[in-house]
Amino acid sequence: MCDWCMKHGAGKKWYMNAKNYSDQLAKDLNLEDYLTEQWMNFETVFIRKIMGLSSIGLGYKLKMPIIGRVIRWVVERMIHKEETKKRNPMRADGHFGQVIPLEDGKIILSELAAEPIIENYCMCRWMQRGKKEAVCINFGILSEIIEKLPRFIPKNRVVRIDREEAMQRLEEHNKKGYIASVWFQPVPYICAICSCESPECGGLRLRNNFDLNVVYKAEYIIQLDQDKCEGCKACVSMCQFSAIRYIPSIDRVIIDYDKCFGCGICRHACKNDALRLIPREEYPGFDGKY
Amino acid sequence: MSKTKIRIDYSKCGENGKVDPRDCHKCLEVCDPCVFLMHEALGYKEEDLYNPQHWRITPVWPSVCTRCFYCVKACPEKAIKISW
Repeated sequence: MCDWCMKHGAGKKWYMNAKNYSDQLAKDLNLEDYLTEQWMNFETVFIRKIMGLSSIGLGYKLKMPIIGRVIRWVVERMIHKEETKKRNPMRADGHFGQVIPLEDGKIILSELAAEPIIENYCMCRWMQRGKKEAVCINFGILSEIIEKLPRFIPKNRVVRIDREEAMQRLEEHNKKGYIASVWFQPVPYICAICSCESPECGGLRLRNNFDLNVVYKAEYIIQLDQDKCEGCKACVSMCQFSAIRYIPSIDRVIIDYDKCFGCGICRHACKNDALRLIPREEYPGFDGKY
Repeated sequence: MSKTKIRIDYSKCGENGKVDPRDCHKCLEVCDPCVFLMHEALGYKEEDLYNPQHWRITPVWPSVCTRCFYCVKACPEKAIKISW
């Protein structure tokens, strides 16, 4: 349980609280205008100046003595901003998420997500790699907003999908090796499940390279059954966080638990069922490390 | 280690050049750590935001650049320069 579960989870994980998906919440927070503005200007989020500084060369800026620490504090506060009136859509305030395993993603899509559900192009891949791939599943009022913006909409395909199909699509992406993640947009309203890739994903970029908490690790962590592992190395190629390594002398893989995000992608590669996810709090050294 | 400086000549690529980054984007494809960002340039009026001439590529994360020079080799307009 992280801070966000305490605040918005009603005793459960934050993304398991049905209230966070409701249209009523979106209405109360007046999110239609906010999200429209945000998605109209989505591609410029990293180059827009925030208090005189843009994200260009952020890695160098964060390394500056003292000033770097101030910038880090400002950026963290901006990402996690909860005051509705002070939020600025141009810089994606209050937009952060968490990695989830496929099972939790399916629960969200089958029970919690608000209609309509759409699948649209991933903007991160387009901006950073020049590839258009329809992998982002959005729901609730955000779907209706994105449908009006043609550059996000896949051609020659039905955009609106039902719950069954959404679950099926998420499973396909997950088995391909994409990490499922659920997003506040803005906190506490939840309206997207992405299938991310590192380093294209803007959130994972900020987390992995600059240690900004835009994406939290999952509520789970991987556990390896050492007796079942035969050392086929199939899981090594699946891990996007380089948390799995093959050691020839013991002829099996080892796991770097510090790097593991708990996405569960590696399980799809294992023939022997040696990898499974356990709740993070059951693992003493890693409880509370998101 | 000194800072990597990546410069793109916008008279060859983007707003004033003949190449639309949205058609070319070869530098994005070859860059392993994804240093470049393709976006519409700021400072234009809302209505012509998606005018092809207003798209440009910015090296937004130079701190993760590995100095492999693949982007310099891949650029058909020779618009990218790297120095440190």
